[in-house]
Amino acid sequence: MTRIGAARELGSRLAWLAPAIAFLAVFMVLPLLDVVRLSFTTASIIEPEYSYTLSSYAKVFGDKDFLWSLSITFIFVAANCVLQIPLGLLIALAVHAGRDKNVYGSILARTAVLTAWIIPGVLVGILWKTLLSSASSGIINHFVQSLGMERIPFLLDPVYAVISIIVANVWGGAAFCMILQYAGLQRIPAELYEVSRVDGARAWQQFFHITLPQLKPILFINLVLITISSFNTFDMIATLTSGGPAGTTEVLTLAAYIQVFTYWNMGRGAAIAVLLLVITVVMTIVYYKLFQLDEDIAE
Amino acid sequence: MLHTGRNLDATKILIYASYLIVIVVFWGPVTWMISLSLKTIPDILAYPPKLFPSRPAIENYGTIFVQSTIPRNMVNSAKITVITVAGTLLVTVPAAYGFSRFRFRGRTQILMAILLFQMISTLIIILPLYRYFIRLNLLDTHHGLIMIYITVQIPFTVWLLKGFFDSIPKSLDDAARIDGASRLQCVIRVIVPVAMPGIAAAVLFNTINAWSQFLIPFILIGKGRLQPISVGVAKYAETVGEAIVTTHLLAAASLMAMLPAIAIFIALQRFIVRILISGAVKG
Repeated sequence: MTRIGAARELGSRLAWLAPAIAFLAVFMVLPLLDVVRLSFTTASIIEPEYSYTLSSYAKVFGDKDFLWSLSITFIFVAANCVLQIPLGLLIALAVHAGRDKNVYGSILARTAVLTAWIIPGVLVGILWKTLLSSASSGIINHFVQSLGMERIPFLLDPVYAVISIIVANVWGGAAFCMILQYAGLQRIPAELYEVSRVDGARAWQQFFHITLPQLKPILFINLVLITISSFNTFDMIATLTSGGPAGTTEVLTLAAYIQVFTYWNMGRGAAIAVLLLVITVVMTIVYYKLFQLDEDIAE
Repeated sequence: MLHTGRNLDATKILIYASYLIVIVVFWGPVTWMISLSLKTIPDILAYPPKLFPSRPAIENYGTIFVQSTIPRNMVNSAKITVITVAGTLLVTVPAAYGFSRFRFRGRTQILMAILLFQMISTLIIILPLYRYFIRLNLLDTHHGLIMIYITVQIPFTVWLLKGFFDSIPKSLDDAARIDGASRLQCVIRVIVPVAMPGIAAAVLFNTINAWSQFLIPFILIGKGRLQPISVGVAKYAETVGEAIVTTHLLAAASLMAMLPAIAIFIALQRFIVRILISGAVKG
């Protein structure tokens, strides 16, 4: 092929990728670079004038409210990992076992879990706000009362508010874990179970010696993905508690939003966004490595 | 033998019990919302609360239709979603094909970057984008919004479609090209029809995703009559607050907002689960 021919070939190949790359360059890469730049400025959202400074980071890390946001975010993320993965695994096991034994209702159960997952985050927040309300529409407080206890001000009490955002997020997110684990369970060769059954292994022994070790790669991948999605949760908390009471449930995403759109501190909001970006980059690298590892095992 | 008849029954009972719990936990809240949306004010105030209203107050939905911006917001969402999905396909089908078929320097790096973009919260990019949109007079416009929607859907869709194209043998491309078809003709006539399940999956997930977007329009669209349904309902929830007299209306509005996504999902759930499972395995 001539040099001109090669160049034309390269050009025509680039044309296939160009539109997607152009969109990503303008609306993704440019803002990502700019948010890093903005985090080193005194920019607000209204005034065009600003100067470069390191003070955003100093102010952010010196701010007690931010340190609270950081702590509550870590609690929220950890709780979601600890609760969603075992819950997802339990449901996946039940659905898998049900299909094995031809039990009716496995698809119904699966559909129920996935319905919660398909509901937009904003509506998950409104839904749980209604359920947890102290008014008569708050069905959960009705159950609490029928157990002989006092009504719980779920969204007004700091501890209960934190529990509430965790419960609502686990409810909405469990389906994703279920699907991942379910896919993992289907990949485990049936012979492994047959051989161990011949050896006289009990169900729980099979679970700990076959199921869990075989699922390990998927469990790690799941952990990383939940970590990322929990760090990025915004919609559900925005409608469920709006960060309240008194900032108790103000996770990092909400803190960044409030810095920018309530206090007009673009610099400080951008600094928090950069922190989220760093966390996402690190977790994505871990995710990528795990996938490579998983493929090595699968081969 | 380990599996005696009695043992098997015990397992089955355990499975049934777990299904019952799962169905109550995950459908219960939605059922309660449906119940609330069909109640009159006396029914809402009734104690103990009843699951079945004394008569289904369907007029609540009529009230939402006539007295709120919700119908307008739904029309906006429908329009934005359709254009976003079409635009995303137009951009991602060629890109995914390119990543699947061409080998060039930097390919792996670009694919990894795209994976990272998929993980990044829209909050991070929306802060600078908001500043650009002020200066470019793109705030409160649907076309500005759609540009960003398309961008945030590109990473996932490229990976999804690339997976499908990878599974189509290259010999199919070659056969078409020997017949004298250009690469573009070959993709349109041969590859796209074969990859239809993948494209259908892309349409499906992009529809649900675009319908659910909240943070981007929440920041970029201030005018109530231009907002999509997610923002419309959130604003409606904010204005009615916790007032008991509007609980049934908020429930009706919320259900109207979530119904399209749930309906699509339940109708196509076998297909969706199959895609999710294969996606989960392949990455």
